[in-house]
Amino acid sequence: MTVIPSTTPGRTPPPAPVDPDSGPLLDPTVMARLDQLDVMSRKMLAGKLKGERRSKRRGQSVEFADYRNYTIGDDLRFIDWNIYARLDRLFLKLFLEEEDLAMYIVLDVSKSSDYGKPNKFRYMQRVAAALGYIGLVNHNRVVLCGVSDGLVADTGAMRGRRKVSQLVSFIEKLQPMGPSHMAEACRRFALQHRSKGVCVVLSDFFVKEGFESGLRYVAGGKYDLFAVQCLAPQELEPDLQGDLKLRDMEDDDLAEVSITQPLIKQYKANLNAYCLSLKEYVTRRGGTYLFTSTAVPFDTLVLNYLRERGLLG
Amino acid sequence: MSWFPTFTSWQAGLIAGALVIPALLVLYFLKLRRKEVAVGSTLLWRKAIQDLQVNAPFQKLRRNLLLLLQLILLLLLLLAYMRPVSNYTPPPGKTTVILIDCSASMAALDQEGKTRLEEAKRQAKELVDSMPSGGTAMVIAFHDKADPVQPFTADPLLLKQAIDRIKQTDRPSDIKLAYQLADAQVNFNPEQLRANVEPPDIRVYTDGRLLNPDDAAVKGNVTYQKIGSGQSGNIAVVALSAKRNFERPTQVQVFARLANYGTEPLAVPVQLSIDGEKIDISTARADEVFLYPERWTEKQRQDWEAKPGSRRADDSVDFKLDLTRAAVIRLEHLKTKDDVLAADNSANVVVPPPKELSLLLVTDGNYFLQRAVQSLAIKSPDVTQPADYEAKKPTNYDVIIFDNYKPKFLPEIGNYIWFGVVPDGTKTRLATDEGPTAPPGSGNAIVLDDVGVLDWKRDHPILENLGLGRLYTAKALKLNVPLDREVLLDGLKGPLIVLDRAPKATHLIVAFDVMQSNWPLKPSFPMFLHQAMQYLAVGQTMDVRQSLRPGEVVRIPRSKLQQADINLKSVTLTGPDGKKELPVTDAGEFVLPVMEKVGLYSTEPAIPGYEKLAVNILDPVESNVLPSDKIPAAVPTDTTDQGNAAGKRRLEWWWWLALVALGVLMIEWWVYTRRVHM
Repeated sequence: MTVIPSTTPGRTPPPAPVDPDSGPLLDPTVMARLDQLDVMSRKMLAGKLKGERRSKRRGQSVEFADYRNYTIGDDLRFIDWNIYARLDRLFLKLFLEEEDLAMYIVLDVSKSSDYGKPNKFRYMQRVAAALGYIGLVNHNRVVLCGVSDGLVADTGAMRGRRKVSQLVSFIEKLQPMGPSHMAEACRRFALQHRSKGVCVVLSDFFVKEGFESGLRYVAGGKYDLFAVQCLAPQELEPDLQGDLKLRDMEDDDLAEVSITQPLIKQYKANLNAYCLSLKEYVTRRGGTYLFTSTAVPFDTLVLNYLRERGLLG
Repeated sequence: MSWFPTFTSWQAGLIAGALVIPALLVLYFLKLRRKEVAVGSTLLWRKAIQDLQVNAPFQKLRRNLLLLLQLILLLLLLLAYMRPVSNYTPPPGKTTVILIDCSASMAALDQEGKTRLEEAKRQAKELVDSMPSGGTAMVIAFHDKADPVQPFTADPLLLKQAIDRIKQTDRPSDIKLAYQLADAQVNFNPEQLRANVEPPDIRVYTDGRLLNPDDAAVKGNVTYQKIGSGQSGNIAVVALSAKRNFERPTQVQVFARLANYGTEPLAVPVQLSIDGEKIDISTARADEVFLYPERWTEKQRQDWEAKPGSRRADDSVDFKLDLTRAAVIRLEHLKTKDDVLAADNSANVVVPPPKELSLLLVTDGNYFLQRAVQSLAIKSPDVTQPADYEAKKPTNYDVIIFDNYKPKFLPEIGNYIWFGVVPDGTKTRLATDEGPTAPPGSGNAIVLDDVGVLDWKRDHPILENLGLGRLYTAKALKLNVPLDREVLLDGLKGPLIVLDRAPKATHLIVAFDVMQSNWPLKPSFPMFLHQAMQYLAVGQTMDVRQSLRPGEVVRIPRSKLQQADINLKSVTLTGPDGKKELPVTDAGEFVLPVMEKVGLYSTEPAIPGYEKLAVNILDPVESNVLPSDKIPAAVPTDTTDQGNAAGKRRLEWWWWLALVALGVLMIEWWVYTRRVHM
């Protein structure tokens, strides 16, 4: 598990900005810094439209790819006349196609994300907005979905800087609701969005039915998966005391606990094992796992950690 | 564990605890009002709870400091309610008298393989180590005598060496002399002459099995250090006697009684041996005894006997043996497992050899009678005329036979057989023609003619196995026999043989002259004489010798020494503790040294009457290995402290526990208020 140093138990988290749960999703300062970034993919993903990324496809660009024998009907403009002069044979020059990149942002809008201070949902909204902004300004095809017990919201494909306000507005309107049924939500997402692309899943991954059943739809195959697990500091270092009745925000499940040191210790051990199992699952399927606490400023996450992990460049 | 306190009302405390502690726990469960807190997911919390609950079913109550404190408080109060009491040994004072019992019961092996004496010595040495600076002590070893092993000294080394010197004996235990000795020694101690001095500490290391403990008294603070375990078991021979049957002198009757000082009823097989050779007693009436524990109360005995199929107690055995020689009879029990005291597992008794009889026949001449007397195989049967008898007036014969002669002189003590004459001074009288009320000697004797036999006592030792049906006499004296005299042979016309036992003499009166009868020609005649001799002479002197107690002094008369050897210079005494060569002085009594150990001792050369000596415990007091709880002293009232029954001081714990409970209550209050403010 990648634990961000600022959330290591025993250390005091860095001073949070003034009320991180309020204010705009993107302010101009951040947007200016985000302008310098672009979404990266470790896979050669085919796009739908001409864009700025090399494709596996042969097409028109300045990037040479290969030669092939000339066949009747080929465009004569791509014949390599220098080779013809030397070999007296016609070879056609092939170039790599340049296409756009599909970027899918899957945002967990289940009720469990509306927890913690700084709030997990707000944090994930800001991350999603920042990623969407980067995608749009770089002419990528950006799709943002909200998932809880199903696919609850979908922006459809958006491209270009002028869609930024629409994206931000869409994100602002999302509200935490319902329980997590990641399996169903991811299945529907995969059915609706068949194009290959980068898929960033923002969630706490507290799924009682198990995260595996949902992630299997977006891990491997056509998606270059980035699983970003956001947890609140209160979930990493519970500050609970006494005899409590813990109520699950998603399904109102009640758990009676008497907070003791062994219980806290056991909880932390279970959390650690849970995150580790998520990381192993994602990594084994070619994805990238990233863990963050909401105590970490979201711009630090975007501008530093996501760059280091290869999502942004 | 002696330090562990005893609870005087533990049952009430347990009942209260069984009610109150669960009530407190239930209250805690009911009292829990959980605050509801929203969390993102209970997924991991549930898993953590499950993981903990696998090993901790009462996880809900774990680490609850208030509950823990309240439970401790409650337990302390309950313990105080049970009133724990412990006894502790106070440290020795400035002057201490150490009394160590080394009697037979202190050899019991119930101190984890050690004897009680060894344990007593160990404790005494511990006491010496704990003596205060400048304190003095003395050591007295006691059994039925007291021995000052070490006078007053402040040197612990000397005291410990003296304690180590004390040896185990098999003697009985009497603390009276030890107390007297302690009193005397204390009075000679210069420390005690000072004014306002504390009375001495008297430390008695014993199991409390003492003779007459209530008669003992001593001035001082008596502390009874009880040695021994109440759970020890011991089977002991507590009585053994053997005696020849008065009526059948060749028959020895052995009687033994055993006692069980353990905790459970037991069947105990017994074994009898003669001169070391085991004899089969399986055909005897009983070759094992069934013993109830001596510590049982009457109610326990009755409860046992009320159980269906339970075996009744039978604590004694008796055997009959034919023994015509000297022998040592040994009885032992075979239940040696869990028997902590070995010295009382067996006992010996010495049966002396048959006595050499002396016989005098006073007759004018009777061929048949003389031949019959000679056939008795008596060493020196004497025959004398009546005139010689009157002249010599012998007194040292076991039996005198008067044949048709009534003597003028008759020894006051003796056994006599009268043929054809009735002695004076007996209740059996000669019938005269003056009637039964006439004074003795008046009138003429009535003589019966032609008398046959009507019947005889066939089971009497004198007439046993004799055929007298064809006995006939031409003339016989008529006898008046009172009811308390025994007629052995009844003739057709009157009694013919009468046994008349006076306090100091026994008379066997044959009412006819054997020459007037056909008896001398019959085999029954010499047999009659033989059996009469056995009965009259042998039976009186064939009782076994009494066994000796350990420590008893044996004095041998000089005449007995001279019987063994006129020039005897030394005697060797061989016993369980080895051989001792004892020089014989020229004058005075010869006294054997004290025999401390039980077993069989013998003298070499054999001194008549003292050839073998049996030393046995045969003492219920010493064999009872249950340590006494009673302090062995009747302490004078002018002493300051008597000590309790166990010889220790009593310490009540309840108010200490209440004090600790108060402290716990304060802590609980502090924790509670701190929680409120938090």
